[in-house]
Amino acid sequence: MRIEAIALTLRPRLSLEAADLGLALARAEARSVWRAFGPLFGLVVLLAVATFDIAPWLPMLLIWWLKPWLDCSLLFILSRAVFGQSTSPADLWRERSAIWGGQWLRVLFRQRLAPWRSFTQPICQLEGLRGKALRERRRLLLKGRGGAAMMMQFAFSYIETALYLGLLLTILLFTPENQQAGLFSWFFGEEESGWVDLLQTFLYAAVVLALEPFFVAAGLTMYLNRRVELEAWDIEQEFRHVF
Amino acid sequence: MSSVTAPLDTLRAVETPEGIALTLRPAGLAARALAFMIDMCLRGVIFWLLFIVLMLIFRSGLGVALALIALFLLEWFYPVAFELTKRGATPGKRALGLTVVMDNGLPVTPAASLLRNLLRVVDFLPGTYAFGLVTMLLRPDFKRLGDMAAGTLVVYAETAALDGALPEAEPAPPARLLTARQQLAVITWAGRARRLTPERFEELAQLAASASEAPPGAGATATTRLLGLAHWLSGRRGEGAAP
Repeated sequence: MRIEAIALTLRPRLSLEAADLGLALARAEARSVWRAFGPLFGLVVLLAVATFDIAPWLPMLLIWWLKPWLDCSLLFILSRAVFGQSTSPADLWRERSAIWGGQWLRVLFRQRLAPWRSFTQPICQLEGLRGKALRERRRLLLKGRGGAAMMMQFAFSYIETALYLGLLLTILLFTPENQQAGLFSWFFGEEESGWVDLLQTFLYAAVVLALEPFFVAAGLTMYLNRRVELEAWDIEQEFRHVF
Repeated sequence: MSSVTAPLDTLRAVETPEGIALTLRPAGLAARALAFMIDMCLRGVIFWLLFIVLMLIFRSGLGVALALIALFLLEWFYPVAFELTKRGATPGKRALGLTVVMDNGLPVTPAASLLRNLLRVVDFLPGTYAFGLVTMLLRPDFKRLGDMAAGTLVVYAETAALDGALPEAEPAPPARLLTARQQLAVITWAGRARRLTPERFEELAQLAASASEAPPGAGATATTRLLGLAHWLSGRRGEGAAP
């Protein structure tokens, strides 16, 4: 861990201000983030869509459920981005056992239900803590900051919904006037039509692809800000630079 | 590779007409989305209360007409009215600690406030504020279209202060000439004394040990020497010290 190599300005920030830094981080490393995450996500979407025959609603549920697992890869990419390193799909594949191995139950159940998952994921994945040490560390990091982390996740789920509906309404806007009502009832209607579920799945996948890196980055920078508060990483960064 | 570029931050530097450099801290997506949600709920509550009162008074179409006028006024002028108060923020923004200012940090003008709120109708497209969300996601200063047109900026009004009072120590002169940045770093370090464990505090002091002179009666820890230096730098001089 070389704090002086961190390519972010560490300074005491408000919790949500720290989340903003995550947006800047994801933007700055956009090329490597989407180049490494895109193919993986495409594969997951493809596999999810393959379950379409079992039940038309299953692909969307699977993508939603696998988001915490996808977050692990994103966190790997973004934690390298913190040090100014870019990541290629090959790097992701080389570290696959560290990123994807083990922890399945925790990631798919506990993290899926956690109201602050991108904030607490670094404790397990980057600090490598397990069991009791993990629980204690999580309690310490969440102390007094759990509310902000929860609000951040809530804001992002709201944004995700807004963008998803926005995409849908964009399609409606470009539909000829006399067919809009028909399209609307087709989309939200009760009648059985697998194509609606498929369209919904792909719209949802597009939003997740665009938004999830920002969400994970926001959690990561909130986590870094917590370490500034608890361990004065900003001072270590400054001392190592100027002395 | 990227060590040459300035470290990543969300700050925005502005210069006042008097030539004073200021840094503003633009508020990002999560904070603004949460503020918006609070305002939306508040507007809804106000409208329904008005609607019930008007219907109880008029019991006719007049009540509906007045309620619709109230809805129009609420939708368009609720933010303007609050942004032109001294605090420069709607209740939602106030709850999140945000303020609307002009690009140069001055209080928002009536024309700019009106413009940024009239253009919400564009940000609102295609129906869920998706345009506004996307521009806020992509711009370094998190502006939506209305902010760009009006030249306004939403900033954090509060700062995250971690520094407390300096713990007592005998002032001691520096070992050599220190740059302003080094001096500031030492004083900031000393202000964190109450937030950090003594071990971590000492660990950080070791990094800057070269700045302070080892006293004749050796044995003092790096912490005590650097604390003495921090007092010296903040202007205190011990008794009997050379002028």
